[in-house]
Amino acid sequence: MAFLELDGLTKSYGSLTVVKGVNLSVDQGKLVCLLGPSGCGKTTTLRLIAGFAPANGGEIRVGGKVVSSSRGTVPPEARNMSMIFQSYALWPHMTVFENVAYGLKLRRMPQSQVTELVRTILTATQLIQLADRYPGELSGGQQQRVSLARALVIKPEILLLDEPLSNLDANLREEMRFEIRRLHDEFRYTTVYVTHDQAEAMTTADIIVVMNDGRIEQSGSPEDIYERPATEFVARFIGGTNILSGTRNDKESVLCQSGLVLRCGNGTADGTTKTAVSIRHHDIELSTKPNGANTNTTIGTVTRQIYLGSHRDYLVSIAGGEMVRTVAPVNVAIPVGQEVWLHFPPEKCRALAQ
Amino acid sequence: MTSIAQVQGRRSGIDLSWPTFALLSLILSVLVLLPLFWLAFYSFRSDTGGGATLDNFIALVADPTLLRAYGLAIAMALGVGLLSCVVATPMAWLVARTDLPGRRIIRMLVTASFVTPPFLGAIAYEILAAPNSGLVNIIYRSVFRLDSSQYLVNIYTFGGLIFAIACFTFPYVFTLVANALDKVPSDLEDASSILGGKSMTTLRKVTIPLVLPAMLAGTLIAILQALTMFGSPAILALPAGFHVITTKIWSLFQFPPRLGLAAAAALPLLIITIILLRAQKSILGRKGYTVLGGKSGTPRVTELGRWKWAAILFVFSILSLTILLPYLAILKTAFTGTVGDPINLSTLTLSHWRFVLFEFSATQLALRNTFLLGFLTATAVTAIALIVSYLVTRRSVPGSRFLGVLATAPVAIPGIVLGVGLFLSYANPTFQLYGTIWILLIAFMTIELPAGYQQMSSAFSGVHPELEEAGRIMGASRLRTLWDITAPLLRTSVVAAWCFVFVGTIRELSATILLTTANTKLVSVIIYDLNESGDLGAICVLGIILLAASFAVVFVANRVPVLGGSQMNARG
Amino acid sequence: MWKKALSAALFASGLAVSSAAFAEAPAPYQITPELEAAAKAEGKVVFYTATDVAVAEKLAEQFKTKYPGIDVQVERAGSERVFQRIGQEYSTGIYNADVIETSDAVHFEYFKRQGWLTPMVPQEVADKWPADERDPDGNFAAYRAHLSVLAYRSDLMKEEEAPKTWEDLLDPRFKDKMVKAHPGYSGTVMTSTFVLSQLLGWEYFEKLGKQNIMQVQSSTEPPKKLAQGERALEVDGNEYNVFRLIDEGKPIKIIYPDEGTPLAVGNAAVLKQAPHPNAAKLFYAYLFSLDAQQLNSDFGGLRSFHPDVKEKEGRTPLSKIKILHSDPAKLEPEIQTIKSNYEKYFGT
Repeated sequence: MAFLELDGLTKSYGSLTVVKGVNLSVDQGKLVCLLGPSGCGKTTTLRLIAGFAPANGGEIRVGGKVVSSSRGTVPPEARNMSMIFQSYALWPHMTVFENVAYGLKLRRMPQSQVTELVRTILTATQLIQLADRYPGELSGGQQQRVSLARALVIKPEILLLDEPLSNLDANLREEMRFEIRRLHDEFRYTTVYVTHDQAEAMTTADIIVVMNDGRIEQSGSPEDIYERPATEFVARFIGGTNILSGTRNDKESVLCQSGLVLRCGNGTADGTTKTAVSIRHHDIELSTKPNGANTNTTIGTVTRQIYLGSHRDYLVSIAGGEMVRTVAPVNVAIPVGQEVWLHFPPEKCRALAQ
Repeated sequence: MTSIAQVQGRRSGIDLSWPTFALLSLILSVLVLLPLFWLAFYSFRSDTGGGATLDNFIALVADPTLLRAYGLAIAMALGVGLLSCVVATPMAWLVARTDLPGRRIIRMLVTASFVTPPFLGAIAYEILAAPNSGLVNIIYRSVFRLDSSQYLVNIYTFGGLIFAIACFTFPYVFTLVANALDKVPSDLEDASSILGGKSMTTLRKVTIPLVLPAMLAGTLIAILQALTMFGSPAILALPAGFHVITTKIWSLFQFPPRLGLAAAAALPLLIITIILLRAQKSILGRKGYTVLGGKSGTPRVTELGRWKWAAILFVFSILSLTILLPYLAILKTAFTGTVGDPINLSTLTLSHWRFVLFEFSATQLALRNTFLLGFLTATAVTAIALIVSYLVTRRSVPGSRFLGVLATAPVAIPGIVLGVGLFLSYANPTFQLYGTIWILLIAFMTIELPAGYQQMSSAFSGVHPELEEAGRIMGASRLRTLWDITAPLLRTSVVAAWCFVFVGTIRELSATILLTTANTKLVSVIIYDLNESGDLGAICVLGIILLAASFAVVFVANRVPVLGGSQMNARG
Repeated sequence: MWKKALSAALFASGLAVSSAAFAEAPAPYQITPELEAAAKAEGKVVFYTATDVAVAEKLAEQFKTKYPGIDVQVERAGSERVFQRIGQEYSTGIYNADVIETSDAVHFEYFKRQGWLTPMVPQEVADKWPADERDPDGNFAAYRAHLSVLAYRSDLMKEEEAPKTWEDLLDPRFKDKMVKAHPGYSGTVMTSTFVLSQLLGWEYFEKLGKQNIMQVQSSTEPPKKLAQGERALEVDGNEYNVFRLIDEGKPIKIIYPDEGTPLAVGNAAVLKQAPHPNAAKLFYAYLFSLDAQQLNSDFGGLRSFHPDVKEKEGRTPLSKIKILHSDPAKLEPEIQTIKSNYEKYFGT
């Protein structure tokens, strides 16, 4: 049995339903990322898990015990969870040490033990020199680590993170992703992590749960999600992709609007009639000459070309007015207006049932 | 599957928010709704025989004395509003946006004048500007060698009353406008300048429209204050031979009292107040004006140049009229025989001090009662306001907004109306409250609750909810979080609110006047009683004691290290 | 709760149905050592009074010197305020006051009907007071009397210019010059307004109202306004306040108009629910003693019904003044009319 289970979880505010029957199981010690655009219900789901809001339907179980259902809600303080907030929510009137020690003091731990545990965690998070500072005197990254230390020190059953890196600048954010992953590997708390940044999710998560419009679109390992998106939404949201919509041709190919027939190496073309094909930007082969292939290939015109240092980004218009985005090495420089040949390797084409 | 209850039992976290909510709803309902209920009940009750009647309301439209009192009160309030606005706005601009010297001190002085009870100010102006004995007129006559029938100013007139009240209401406009001017982002003004607007054009087209809501809101508050004020009109309007509505209601309590008519006469005042407050709210709440909290740069400062001296003269004369002269008059009267005496060694006397401190038996009791009540009210109101604004701003209990409405409602109940309502509610042996200080505590709590609540709820919206949620998820109950995290963060606001309520309480007169008895005398009431018997010297002594004590309490409250916390750095 | 609230309202509805107990006045009593000891045991007496605060405090001082160990709490307010307060307190079951005194005789008729008073007659009252200056049933007695007088600042107004009669006050030369107390607040002024309206008619007040008079509340206040020099002439005001100011050397002179001067009688009584009954009894007897009455006269300028009181030099004895008496029984039903007429002519 999974440690944390969401079962048909529903939450609405007035007539607006923001979480629509979410089912999710998280095994002990796993880090799950709830990933989705803003407004998809991921933060609400997290707050429901924390107990800040009561659920309207369904259940949340921790270790088999119901903590939230439409019949009642265990208050947050009785859940033995901890949370890292978007704003870090460090208490400005307490020093770093006091912030971290607060949760332990609530647990009526003897002072000596409190000091010892706090020192240990501060050492692990490289904050020990800052113990007597106030939060206002720390940098953003340091505040973030205090927030982590404070959440970890109480040895929560479940650790919740709400967009914890969104207030950091780009460099620091990348560093902290690895830090979070490192700390998770060290402490192995069951963790639910909410983010809208797919790179963050990819770095940290054991399991990524893509949410859209209050529902789970797909869940799986980062590789699953990236390589085998189940829906057009997931494909678009995780990494850049081209979606070419069309109709079912035969069991293995799709007839696109442009008249192009794409054989798809994976996914399912088994939709009723309407189907789409997803192919990542970098999986499309671009050449100025016919490429010799007779399937999965088409001719198009370059409409935009941008130099990006590591590669060039192309926008190619193909028959039927559809646009395809692709990348090519820097040395492949094709001026706008020139004809090009595109090849869509079948093993990279993924048919998405609608 | 285990039941919820078992899970809850894991740790001591019993959620107290529902019982707290229920208790507070009950307390606030009793504080606010009960007096209003009795007020409404009595307004339909005949004064002569009991039984239901509409006579009181008929009298309200038919009785010319009541209509006149209402008309005069409204005219007076509008006059006060206009005067306050005209004086305070340029002053606020000078202080907030120019290189006028001494701006900080001017702000402090204006804020300090909040502490002066308006009735004391009115008495000070009796001393200064009574047509014959007023110091100003005495000096005027002796300088120009005029005979005794000549005078320069007469405070016992409609205009005099407006002036005396405006002296104590203009800080409302001043503070709001000055704060708004502080916050108008200078890039809005820069934008106008870059488009070619001259500085006067910018001022007219950008700055003034941006602070207009603050101006209007402040003016409405001044109007409201004037309309519901009892002390100053009682002191200045009655000798001038006219009633405003508050004094008229008070006169209905004279023998034989006409409680039903008093209750009915109070209701329109209640309604006008509600309308004014709604107007004020809608002005301040309009979209686009709420962005005043921008952080874009420091406000631009206008250099006064050769106008500097004119500006200094203007500000100095306003401060003289509203603060310096009244205080000097009070000091002088406290130390000389009678008001008209010149100051020299032979007229200096401590006789008023001796009388107040040693001979007048009510002094000690009144001082003790006043400060005890001030302390209790300030503490209770701050505590209630803290919890109510927590429940409201955090919407932790459905329906908590109702509490906010209740806590704000008394602002619409003028003191004298509340006094009537409370007398009708608690003057019965079931509660045994009339004649104890508890009825005064209830009155003061009700009166001061809106102010306390307003301060606390704006302080609360400055505390990020995640700070509290962090406490909850770490394992602290709601109350524990409130105590450990929210309260310390609100410490300065709490102290400020406490002082505000304390000062408001010890200067309250309009509800007090109907609710005191011999054992529950307050300084404000003995000042009023002494004024009725014309003992100005004793009044001034008591006024000085009252003011000195208020300043001392405020000073101490802000200095106690436990309360004032210095290491706060609310960047979070 | 309803019943009690309504009983509060019953008070509100004015002088309600009477339920007086007419009994013989009790036998006179003297101050005995036993009474004194019992009073000392209680330690305190609460005195609700309408006499000028300085006079009342002085009296309390003298009592405390004579009977050390008994504190006197003086609660001074205008007669109508005292009445309003005791009414509010008694209708809500609060019994703070021991001895009560106001200058409005109507009040005591009301208290008596309500049965709020304890009949008792000090020996001194029984022996020396004129019969019509005490209640036949012994509920109260006239503790003091004072006139409501015309007075003027002799430095601001020449003697020949000063008014001689009530009618003189209507002369335009007194416009803006006068100060006057209010009948809704002061029992003395209620009495004087009543007798003058009977004597001169309401047309008199209508004309007087056009003289731009400074309106104050208590009848102690007009003399103080004269002393301040705020106004030169008072229409009404307590004679005793004027006496005291003259004694202090203020240039004020009293006028006893030809038509007569209204007299206000200040009764005193002991309340039935007095929290300190023995101290009240002692204090009540003391109020009528020659000492107290002489103090009232000397320091307070009050008139006394004690025949042995010596009036100060220079004060016109009562016998030389034409007095306008008022009958409380006739005044009572007129109160509302007086107040509304007064507001009509004087604005408040």
